[in-house]
Amino acid sequence: MQSILAVDDSPSMRKMVAFTLTGAGYHVVEAVDGQDAYEKAQAHDIDLVLADQNMPRLDGIGLTRKLREHPKFKTVPILILTTESSDQMKQAGRAAGATGWLVKPFDPNRLIEVIRKVMP
Amino acid sequence: MAEMHAEGGADFDLSQFYQIFFEEAGENLDQMEQILLDLSLENADDEELNGIFRCAHSIKGGAATFGFADVAELTHHMESLLDKLRRHELTPVPEMVDVLLESADASRSLLARHQAGEQGEAPSTADLVRRISELASGRVPEAPAERPEPKPPAAAAPAVQTPPVASEPAPAAASGERELMVRVGPLEDLSSADVIKELFRDIPGLGTIADAASEDASCRNFQVTTSASNDDLLDLFAFHVAKEQVRISVLAGGDIAAASDTTEEVPYGFFPDAPGSPGAAAPTRAAQAAAAESPTPAAHKATPAKAADAKGGAQAHVESTTIRVAVNKVDQLINLVGELVITQAMLAQNSRDLDTAVYQQLLAGLADLDRNTRDLQESVMSIRMIPMSIVFSRFPRMLRDLANKLGKKVDLVTLGEATELDKGLVEKITDPLTHLVRNSGDHGIEMPAERLAKGKPEHGTITLSASHQGGSIVIEVKDDGRGLSREKILRKARERGMDVSDQMPDADVWQLIFAPGFSTADVVTDVSGRGVGLDVVKKNIAALNGSVEVDSSEGYGMRVAVRLPLTLAIMDGMSVGVGDEVYILPLSSVVESFQVNNDDVNTVAQGSRLVKVRDEYMPVIAMEKIFQIPRDSSEKSSNIMVVVESDGSRIALLVDELLGQHQVVVKNLESNYRKVPNVSGATILGDGKVALILDTSSMVRRARH
Repeated sequence: MQSILAVDDSPSMRKMVAFTLTGAGYHVVEAVDGQDAYEKAQAHDIDLVLADQNMPRLDGIGLTRKLREHPKFKTVPILILTTESSDQMKQAGRAAGATGWLVKPFDPNRLIEVIRKVMP
Repeated sequence: MAEMHAEGGADFDLSQFYQIFFEEAGENLDQMEQILLDLSLENADDEELNGIFRCAHSIKGGAATFGFADVAELTHHMESLLDKLRRHELTPVPEMVDVLLESADASRSLLARHQAGEQGEAPSTADLVRRISELASGRVPEAPAERPEPKPPAAAAPAVQTPPVASEPAPAAASGERELMVRVGPLEDLSSADVIKELFRDIPGLGTIADAASEDASCRNFQVTTSASNDDLLDLFAFHVAKEQVRISVLAGGDIAAASDTTEEVPYGFFPDAPGSPGAAAPTRAAQAAAAESPTPAAHKATPAKAADAKGGAQAHVESTTIRVAVNKVDQLINLVGELVITQAMLAQNSRDLDTAVYQQLLAGLADLDRNTRDLQESVMSIRMIPMSIVFSRFPRMLRDLANKLGKKVDLVTLGEATELDKGLVEKITDPLTHLVRNSGDHGIEMPAERLAKGKPEHGTITLSASHQGGSIVIEVKDDGRGLSREKILRKARERGMDVSDQMPDADVWQLIFAPGFSTADVVTDVSGRGVGLDVVKKNIAALNGSVEVDSSEGYGMRVAVRLPLTLAIMDGMSVGVGDEVYILPLSSVVESFQVNNDDVNTVAQGSRLVKVRDEYMPVIAMEKIFQIPRDSSEKSSNIMVVVESDGSRIALLVDELLGQHQVVVKNLESNYRKVPNVSGATILGDGKVALILDTSSMVRRARH
């Protein structure tokens, strides 16, 4: 079973994402912020990272940058969830090594669609 | 839940997450309020500003995801203002704190309405949105209510013309304009979107607009050239069409933004050369990507990552060490432990006569069971205990508003916030406490000038404290205001035809303020003093087996102490026997007990009986009469008096025997059977028999009046 690391500081969003992805047949590892995600990423085999952008301690782009420094995460798809689809954010995400972005709010079906497109 | 697990294309039922979202949003609003109240305008620190921003941001994200558009819209505006604050593009002013606090309240009511299944009328947020927008554009808006109508669009133009500094500066802002496709719809009347075209005509510098073809007959498409950001455009359009009906997509001017889908904002995308990119699947220019070929992340210097927020970090830490559990699960656990306690008591009772030599091991095991059961019970009960800070935290805000309204200056001091209390009690004590605090602020604390004239500091102080005293918790509301006036209270009581005398001790005089409809306020204010008064407070507290004490010194303030049992689920009781029945008296209400001689009891009119105990006559209640207990033999009769007290009045209960004192697990009779007069609940005894718990306060009331 493929594993997705779902990172969001909002419990309701996290639950929603986890529920959606579990239903679609993925194993979900939840993390409450970038720092927590970074620690959990080391401990689990992760096939894809889905990270909220705006989080305390370490944001989505910061997490991406840190993960990309690790050989283990060089090619793992990292998607940033964001409420701003601004180009500034996109450029920052791209520079940090993110694979793509998904604008919040999104529909659960859309989430699965996007995940399927990038899941290795 | 299995039905939700269908693969892609399924209808996801998001409603299952609503409750989590409501709780989370409530916490975010609380936190926002807290930070706002503590915020020092002169030197607001980044951490605080980031913290408030994140609260609004989280609520907005969740509300949008779960379909609460009104909440999402309001919090979006709050977020925009907060974003400018945290970027130091604006300096915080008191009006901002006010409007943000009011908006937090409005969000709360909107959420409450959604939670209640859309019942009632949604509060209007138009005025709040207008004030926030004006503040965000650097102006101080007029006070609310004076201009309830949203500003005409033309006047809003400056907001658009200011450089787009909102959360997302327009991509090509520096170099100039962007070309956008704006879709408006679905609309019932397509011509209703014409106002949008008029906006561009009316507002100089906004840009140009032209009709564009639309494949959807219910929508209008416009091609727009503008330098305004999407947010600013949406804000501007919001006066005419619902925000959800507007979709903006970039045609040109953004360098990464995809433009393949002209009628919808691109909801996602992949970076062309990014690691982990899919092959040809992406709907954007990413299609050309040679996915995982270039794993090197681009230069790190590119992004100024948002500073990590220590406060937020601490919160996240707390969250990962706590779990959210439904109250009914905890209650079920408590119930089960209650059953276990009963079973354990039964075993203890049945094993009492066993030969210790023969059953040594069994008895040792039972002793362990006894100890473990008690520990378990304590641990489980502690789950329901929550700190008083939950209750206290609502008062800073309330007093701030109250002081503003009345033109008073009030400081609030809270002590013993960590003191824990049963959740059920916390919920029930909040309203009475609110009433008491309001009363202190409204009637107790004087106007600043009056205080200065009396030689008191200009700022009045209200002190809220909580502490454990024995098996109870004592919550005090203390103020340094004008205190109670003995004469005024007595005069008022006489006017109301109450039986009072000038010789009454102070304590009795103060208790008069709890009489129904009693108010010593000279003026009826908007805040309190409208008749629904302290009597309700007292009744509510008495219903929790609690008591209220008042202490006051005229000119120096007053103190109200509320004493409550720690929990409603377990009670110290005294068991008494009448015939074959066993009843439990709350130990807290028992004063004394003694054997009575028949000649100590006097019969007065209508067969009522009185007994004289230490120079005080009190009514005698024969338990066998009120509960109609059958007597098998005449040898046993009631000759034990138990004096119980409630609200300062005493009665004597006539019982057969005193059986003992023990902790009993209170079971609600009302929810399992129905309300029974003179009975507050039931419990199961060690031998498995059910015993009724007497409602001593109602018995006293009945006998006395």
